Amino acid sequence: MPIGFLRRVFQAADSETAFLWRGQPFSYGWLLGALDRWKAQLQAESVLPGTVVVLQSDFCPEAVAAMLALIEQACIVVPITAAAGQQADEFIALAQAERVIPPFSGLEQHAVLTRTKVCADHPLYERLRREGHPGLVLFSSGSTGQSKGVVHDLVRLLKKYQLRRQNLRTLAFLLFDHIGGFDTLFYCLSNGSSLVLVEDRSPEAICAAVARYRVEVLPVAPTFLSLLVISGAYTLHDLSTLKYVTYGAEVMSEATLQACRRILPQAVLLQKYGTSEVGTLRSHSESSDSLWVKLGGEGYQVRVVDGLLQIKSESAMLGYLNAPSPFTEDGWFITGDIVEVNGDYFRILGRQSDLVNVGGQKVYPAEVENVIQQLDNVADVVVFGERNPITGQIVCAKVTLVQPEPLKDLTLRLKLFCLQKLAAYKVPVKVVLAEGPLWGARLKRQRRPVEPTPNLWL
Amino acid sequence: MINRERIERIIHSALDEWQQLNPDGAKVAKVPGTVLFGEGSTLDSLGLVTLIAAVEREIAQEFDRPLTLVSEKAMSQRTSPFRTVATLTDYIASLLEEDSHG
Repeated sequence: MPIGFLRRVFQAADSETAFLWRGQPFSYGWLLGALDRWKAQLQAESVLPGTVVVLQSDFCPEAVAAMLALIEQACIVVPITAAAGQQADEFIALAQAERVIPPFSGLEQHAVLTRTKVCADHPLYERLRREGHPGLVLFSSGSTGQSKGVVHDLVRLLKKYQLRRQNLRTLAFLLFDHIGGFDTLFYCLSNGSSLVLVEDRSPEAICAAVARYRVEVLPVAPTFLSLLVISGAYTLHDLSTLKYVTYGAEVMSEATLQACRRILPQAVLLQKYGTSEVGTLRSHSESSDSLWVKLGGEGYQVRVVDGLLQIKSESAMLGYLNAPSPFTEDGWFITGDIVEVNGDYFRILGRQSDLVNVGGQKVYPAEVENVIQQLDNVADVVVFGERNPITGQIVCAKVTLVQPEPLKDLTLRLKLFCLQKLAAYKVPVKVVLAEGPLWGARLKRQRRPVEPTPNLWL
Repeated sequence: MINRERIERIIHSALDEWQQLNPDGAKVAKVPGTVLFGEGSTLDSLGLVTLIAAVEREIAQEFDRPLTLVSEKAMSQRTSPFRTVATLTDYIASLLEEDSHG
């Protein structure tokens, strides 16, 4: 029973709250009942072990019950939330879905399981079926723009949750079709904790939910923290219950980190690291105002080769559905993240694919963004490289402003400010004003039309 | 007919901007013969791409159309369009002419 350990937690936690959704509590006793109800439906509809089932739903209690039932039935689960947007159909095709649970509101206790004509015969699926293990498929968009289907063996991935840890009321900011959201969910379930499920991820709504439900852990993306600082939403609600704010999924700016220290003085700020391919690592930030982090924990080994972080893990994915293996011959996953090392601590500098090369000199976008964020009237910024026949690439900055300002004035002000803090080759040559937000559906900074594989999360 | 004076004015304003960013650099005269890049110039490659970016931005504003100055075409010209203020003016005028006829 891959989730036998969870059933035992649910039984013991019985009347405790598992989820808070739309103002209603759902107990662990309710979750056990819903899990059995979904299981009975799967069996009644002959959904056999090894079937590839797409679960299209927002993060709601019924969807979690359905996911747990699919895992217990040893199916291969493909969660897809609304954040996938127009890519949902592409993901369904890529995953070779045999059954689809179409989007449901979360209020139904029963869903239609559409049967497709597809026969899911991918060798990785065959391997899961031979072992009788449930599987999980997540999607990450690669640096070339092609989404990659990541196949996990859930017996391996769920093993680490068998160890009981702290029971803390947590807000589910990241979605469950993302490795970070999946981790938040299973961390909470395995500790009998309450998970606050939200539909609106604006700073105002998140702050209101933290205050209303007295949330203790807030796992977010750094972009959310930038928005939180800019919005001032923290002044309207009591956030004093927050014990931990964890961040990942992209490089955190020093300026945002310091601002968060000021507005959330009682909370410990922790950097997390994980990838769709290897799951989540245990991490330990040097301090709340430090971007240096210790990575590893049981079941994980880390090393740095050519400045890039590599990870070896017992719970690593089996492989991609549609891409060659990213593992070295001896089983290490090449993350593509450039790191600096200081003793046991790492500092994530950015994605190798985001690096800008100006006439042979390397520029890390995060370093430049960090400086520009300190400039008056700048609400947000992304820095990226643009091809240029003279220097190979040039540094460009796309900025959103607090108040309108002529581009020429902004450009001059920004360059003069950067020249005081950065080497000349790091100073943006081009400054443009953004027409829309600089982040995508998952609140991650978009440096290119297509997001690179996000590796830092939670 | 494209007004060369308007183009020159834009280049001069871009030179002013570059000068503001490099207060310690040598003064660049705003005359047609001023060497922008190559032997006898005061700009390095980074200075040149910065100057060009400023010119592109101002042209987009003044002529209400985007113009890419650094291209394979520019790089393959026998006389570099980036050699002097005059060659750059000619080059921009020709691109704008092409654009308005094309």
